[in-house]
Amino acid sequence: MLKIVGRRLAQVAPLVLGVIVLNFSLIQLAPGSFLDVMSAEQQITDPAMLDQLRVTYGMDQPAHVQLLKYIWSVLQFDFGYSYRQNASVAEVIMAHLPATVLLMVTSIGVALFIGVAAGIVAAVKVNTIWDNLVSVFAVFFFAAPTFWLGIMLTILFSVKLGIFPVGGMREVGVTEGPIAAAFDVMRHLALPAITLGLFYAAIYARVMRASMLEVFRLDFVRTARAKGLAPTTIVLSHVLRNALLPVMTLLGLQLGTVLGGSVVVEAVFSWPGIGSLMLDSVQSRNFPVVLGVLVLSSLVVACVNVVVDLAYFKLDPRIRAR
Amino acid sequence: MAAASASPGLDFLRRFARNKAALVGLFVILSVIGLAIFASQLYPRPPLRIVGRPELWPFANPRHLLGTDSLGRDIAAMIVHGTRTTLLIGIFASLTATLIGVTVGASSAYFGGWLDETLMRVTELFQTVPNIIFILTIVSILGPDIWHITLAVGLVTWTPIARLTRAEFLTLRDREFVQACRSMGMSDLRIILGEILPNALPPVIVLSSLVIASAILFESAISFLGLGDPNIASWGGLIGDGRTLIRSSWYICAVPGLAIMATVLALNLIGDGLNDALNPNLRDRS
Repeated sequence: MLKIVGRRLAQVAPLVLGVIVLNFSLIQLAPGSFLDVMSAEQQITDPAMLDQLRVTYGMDQPAHVQLLKYIWSVLQFDFGYSYRQNASVAEVIMAHLPATVLLMVTSIGVALFIGVAAGIVAAVKVNTIWDNLVSVFAVFFFAAPTFWLGIMLTILFSVKLGIFPVGGMREVGVTEGPIAAAFDVMRHLALPAITLGLFYAAIYARVMRASMLEVFRLDFVRTARAKGLAPTTIVLSHVLRNALLPVMTLLGLQLGTVLGGSVVVEAVFSWPGIGSLMLDSVQSRNFPVVLGVLVLSSLVVACVNVVVDLAYFKLDPRIRAR
Repeated sequence: MAAASASPGLDFLRRFARNKAALVGLFVILSVIGLAIFASQLYPRPPLRIVGRPELWPFANPRHLLGTDSLGRDIAAMIVHGTRTTLLIGIFASLTATLIGVTVGASSAYFGGWLDETLMRVTELFQTVPNIIFILTIVSILGPDIWHITLAVGLVTWTPIARLTRAEFLTLRDREFVQACRSMGMSDLRIILGEILPNALPPVIVLSSLVIASAILFESAISFLGLGDPNIASWGGLIGDGRTLIRSSWYICAVPGLAIMATVLALNLIGDGLNDALNPNLRDRS
């Protein structure tokens, strides 16, 4: 097991290096130099100061030296300094990361729960009204833009019914201890997590249904039926586990899009995570933060990918044998 | 399988037409294309012009069928003109993605070796970078221009096409007809473009039509976040503008969202229909 973890982590390293190089090429692509943007943001006009900045950021050197320097500083977790928040970029991002990870994990949970449950129902009651209902809902949520779905849910549950708050992560002035605070965050988390989760639930429901039907036809299921096991036992402990594999594969492939999707959902619900930070930085052309988010979010995706792989090993012992 | 069919094209059409959902999708897309073509005839005046009282509800005034937004601009006019933006970005982003994906996938499978290894690593790299964050970065660096958005969306959606093309090429690469071409001394480029690609293309085209759908979703998300081209009417931008008014006039958000959903849904249905028509033996499985 440890060997597998090590090997997977070793594969992450070149990926991160690639992201850094990609990042660097994007900086070089920018019209005008990086310096123009930074000096405009800080309103620096003094030529001596500009020269000093140029030396500080190593812009007087050829591109490949700059690239090596950039790689070196990123490896040390040094993404530069954000004047807007008056803190180092790494600190700013780390302060926003927990909220996004919380949203991501919760919505993946929502997606897996709803998707797998709906897929099982559709497969067990195949070609009935239940199956059709699941298909219709899946098609609907697959085509709806997440931000629009989020706004519609807000209109229904916050504006009309008043069950959930419109946005944010905490109520202002709630200081009644950790349990009340956790409950408060949960109330705020519900709508964004459902919004983000429903899109993936739609995909998982379709995949789950197809793979359940596939597994139902395998020999070992017939054996289980023949020896008189209860239908519920067959579905839950024989078919489910095998049918989950394609869903797990998909989950691993889509982690990047989940994180990307959370950017949009965070903007809808003013959830104080990476997405809100990213949007704010893009609008204020705060490039050190934008590039830092790009590198770090890729790193998060790569790491969670390793975790998904490990879950895969747990689910399917055949892979471990290889 | 209708192996004895006289014309494979006709057979394909018949199989596609058997799928009712795909036909509905085709009808919706043709209507959207029609709206895009005749947008200037239907609403000759610039769609971003103020025409009436702000926040007029749909059907309240027959002159502005879908109502007006917070500035008093006609929502129907903006939606009709927005079809152009949506379709243009969707189609060109998909073309960009297909071009990159087919090039990467084909050369990776055909030449193999270190090139394959490198290109697949690059593909993995683009799969790891969270797509919207990547698009936002590119658009923020290059500026909010419709072509930059198209390029950015194309850059994040090519990976599945590359993987599919590679898989198709791998199965075709060592077939006899390809070996025959090789022994005739045909150049690599001619074998790839003239011999293998036509055989590998059908499933790739299906995927490309699905990429149009996701490109439309990406474009609307970018416009919604306020990073779209500000001088062009766009569905996502309309939703973004209407967002502050959800307490009083929620229809401003609801209507363009339905337009996006209908278009994306139609494209997905067409994609499914094409898939079934191309792989008739797969359809009856579930």
